[in-house]
Amino acid sequence: MKEFRFRILVILGAIALSIYLLYPTYADYNNNIYVEEQLAQIKDNILNADPNISISQMDQRLSLKEDSIRTSDPSYRENREKRIKLGLDLQGGMYLVMEVNTARLVERLARDADPTFKEILAATEAEAKVSDLDLVSILARRFQEKGIRLSRYFGTIRQEDSEIIDQLQEQESDAVNRAIEIINNRVNQYGVSEPSIQKQGARRIIVELPGIAKEEEAKRLLQGRALLEFKMVKDADFAIPIMNRIDEILASSANIEVSNNETESTGVSSIVDDSSSTDQLSPEEFEKQHPFYSIALINPQSPYADAFVKETDKAKVLNFLNRMEVKNAIPDNVEFIFGAKPEIVQDGENIYRLYLVNKQAELSGGVITDAQSTLNPQTSAPIVTFQMNSEGAREWARITGSNIDKRLAIVLDGVIYSAPNINGKILGGSSQIEGIGNLDEAKLMEIVLKAGALPAPIDIIEERTVGPSLGQDSVSQGFNSLLIGFVIVAIFMIFYYKKGGNIADFGLFFTIMIILGVLAGFSATLTLPGIAGIVLTMGMAVDANVLIYERIREELATGKTAKAAVESGYANSYSAIFDSNITTFFTGIILYQFGSGPVQGFALTLMIGIVASLFSALVLTRLFFDIMVAKGIKINVG
Amino acid sequence: MRLFENLNIDFLGKRKTFFFVSVIVILIGFLSLIFRGLALGIDFKGGSEVALQFENEIDISEVRDQVNQIGLGNVEVKTFGGTTGIIIRTEIQEIPREIFPRVISTIETLIDRYYPGTQKTIIDSTYNSVTYSFDTPEITEDLNIKLFNAGFQTSRISEELNNTGIIIRIGISDWIKENLIEKYADNKFTVLKEDKVGPKIGQELKRDTIIAIGLSLIGILIYLGFRFKWTFAVGAVAALFHDVLVTLGLFSLLYDVIPGLNLEISLAVVAAFLTLVGYSINDTVVVFDRIREYMKIHKTLGLQEVMNRAINRTMSRTIITGLTTLLTVIVLIIFGGEVLRGFAFVLFIGIVVGTYSSIFVASSFVLEYALKNKKQIHF
Repeated sequence: MKEFRFRILVILGAIALSIYLLYPTYADYNNNIYVEEQLAQIKDNILNADPNISISQMDQRLSLKEDSIRTSDPSYRENREKRIKLGLDLQGGMYLVMEVNTARLVERLARDADPTFKEILAATEAEAKVSDLDLVSILARRFQEKGIRLSRYFGTIRQEDSEIIDQLQEQESDAVNRAIEIINNRVNQYGVSEPSIQKQGARRIIVELPGIAKEEEAKRLLQGRALLEFKMVKDADFAIPIMNRIDEILASSANIEVSNNETESTGVSSIVDDSSSTDQLSPEEFEKQHPFYSIALINPQSPYADAFVKETDKAKVLNFLNRMEVKNAIPDNVEFIFGAKPEIVQDGENIYRLYLVNKQAELSGGVITDAQSTLNPQTSAPIVTFQMNSEGAREWARITGSNIDKRLAIVLDGVIYSAPNINGKILGGSSQIEGIGNLDEAKLMEIVLKAGALPAPIDIIEERTVGPSLGQDSVSQGFNSLLIGFVIVAIFMIFYYKKGGNIADFGLFFTIMIILGVLAGFSATLTLPGIAGIVLTMGMAVDANVLIYERIREELATGKTAKAAVESGYANSYSAIFDSNITTFFTGIILYQFGSGPVQGFALTLMIGIVASLFSALVLTRLFFDIMVAKGIKINVG
Repeated sequence: MRLFENLNIDFLGKRKTFFFVSVIVILIGFLSLIFRGLALGIDFKGGSEVALQFENEIDISEVRDQVNQIGLGNVEVKTFGGTTGIIIRTEIQEIPREIFPRVISTIETLIDRYYPGTQKTIIDSTYNSVTYSFDTPEITEDLNIKLFNAGFQTSRISEELNNTGIIIRIGISDWIKENLIEKYADNKFTVLKEDKVGPKIGQELKRDTIIAIGLSLIGILIYLGFRFKWTFAVGAVAALFHDVLVTLGLFSLLYDVIPGLNLEISLAVVAAFLTLVGYSINDTVVVFDRIREYMKIHKTLGLQEVMNRAINRTMSRTIITGLTTLLTVIVLIIFGGEVLRGFAFVLFIGIVVGTYSSIFVASSFVLEYALKNKKQIHF
């Protein structure tokens, strides 16, 4: 048995690894059932308390509750991240390919879109629909054919056509980046789990939104102009008392007695500056007495009253802020808004900033004409400069003049990207944002500012939506096929190859476990054709076994000993097995390259299946036979 | 249990017969391809496709009549997974300009129903949307929700509290849903899936598919050229062409013949064809491997005799593997659901044909090629 130890260990190791990798999927499945049950109960409770609640409000509350259940136990998130990813055709969801409508973009960029321009543009649009070339090139060609220089409509008189073409193409690419940021932002706020937004080529965006039950809402998310606004951030003097009140309301509504009256009655300074009093309380007590402040942390050293909230606590904060009692405590003209991106990362957790701003915007982003991210020539620090139109410039001068040393938040689609300090009155509309961490951040600000100015018109050129019911049906159909297929093949193998069949069946089971384990381990996506691929692999996997067994039968028939028959049986089958499987593997690679989504899933399981079944046939079953030969057990291949 | 234990059929001697059979089948398929053509799914043609699931049984012809009148041009209506599901397909991606007024008037009728006499102004309209402005934010928000529930995609034009505008997207699926919701108020339906493919994407997918198939064939040719002699590689690929042509021909022939079997070329079907290429080669290679082995051992026997022996000896393996794979494919056809049916069907035919070609056709090609060119093959 000693010589087998290594192989046995390898195989047992592989099985153990697969089980380990597959466990989160199982755990997540159970978690989901639990959450569903809880939510159903909560839904009943809400309906009992408030029968006339509107559907959208109910959905909002339910999703907040769901978030809080899921975040209460960190293992939920872990299992969710490590489980086997289901493709959109199994989860339900939307797959979209979006493309910048360059024609519209070009039209907006043109200085003066006269009838000639519109005519040429229309013809270009029609041609671009069926051509492989990009619109800008076609447009340039058509202008050239008519003998009109591009500088008539774009750029400056002195610029050559080729320069303008480059500029236009850059605008196109910029527009795509803008659109991606906006979509990213909105999708994050909407709360889709595991969304995927990717740029493809120069003009396209691929968006995958799994698990969207209301597809129309999702489509809503992706279109429509982005709203850029400038809102004043409230001072600490204004914000702290409001936050104190919120904290009190939440603490008292949880019916917890305040043990130390002193800390409550002494207002602002004691909570924020007097750290000694808070040191007397243990973390749990602090949480009870200050439910708001325990998750919305304020930096006592900072002059600003921005709160810092962990990503996992965001839902809780929103929950708090949505309560009736709390809403009443917040004045009508202000609101709390989160930052768009996490400020810092502490202990692996993203921390977001929470601002208190005026509800009414001082200025809307439509007045911005341009924005650039560059390096400050003197300090080499990253900055963002932007310009406004004359109407905007006037307003801007007024706003900046009367709000010196206050902060102005730049809000895009309801989240704050930056809240720079107003250092002085700005005339002429041309401004500069400093204090930006790095060039990437500056680039982001540029995108944000431009988004308000020049929205990117986007078209959906491909869209595939699978409703959740079809998704679930597909999952059960897929797994039924898997199960039934396995049973049928297994029974057949035992029937035809007797004990050898048993061994082959064990190899088959092993193969399937390995395939699923690899999918889980690499976070690959399982699609319905992918499951079909596994079913197919089962049929083809036994091929290697069949080749070997037939060969062993032949060798035994020539009178060789069991040991020799097994050896030559395996040896002679190698070439056939390799050559045939490599060619199938090769078509799998091609399919993976050229397929998309579901088809890629099929190619993937096919390829993994081939490798796994080769391993199982050549190593696992060989091990069984070798052990049998060593122990003198009779070899039986039917 | 043994099958084909001591088989000794002169396969290659009878090759003329088998060629004849194959040629007939391919010819029939060819004729079908020319006259009936191949049904292309929207993956390649472009267009929109909506699958609906009704609560109760639904009369296809009734739905077809309904949908034909709403101005979307050529509309196909088929069953989808049973008697309660239908799938509606159009060739266009956007609502045609001509029926825009109809859509507008439908929307306005709806608005009037909820808020009779209210002021509604169109402030913008594009090829797939129209933007309305109303009197008050409350009316706007309420109409936003009501029109959404009626089947249109609506959204506010700005997030501000005093927003008085809604942009209404008018897509094909919305228009179809809107028209059916009223007629079938007593037999509610849900949308199972929706696909929309623009013409450019369709073209790209076509191009990608052809490249993929071309590359596979070249790759296989090269690999086999290395492992076996050139003659064999050619023979294998010839058998491949044979398999693909027969399957394609049958696909075209049986289109619409079997009820409930949706035989059109979609991405999944192309994937199935590529898989069958892989499987067929797999099969053929096993036979060729045995031929290769025998040629090394039995140097004196002629090519024909060696081939015959090889095929006979590998027959049980060929049949058994074909059988197990076929069993799994049958499981997919029965239990795999509507989405996989076309895919599984291609595999089914492909495996049967592929097995046939591995036994009767592939080696015959090689033999013919060798004889014609008087080549001597050594390994």
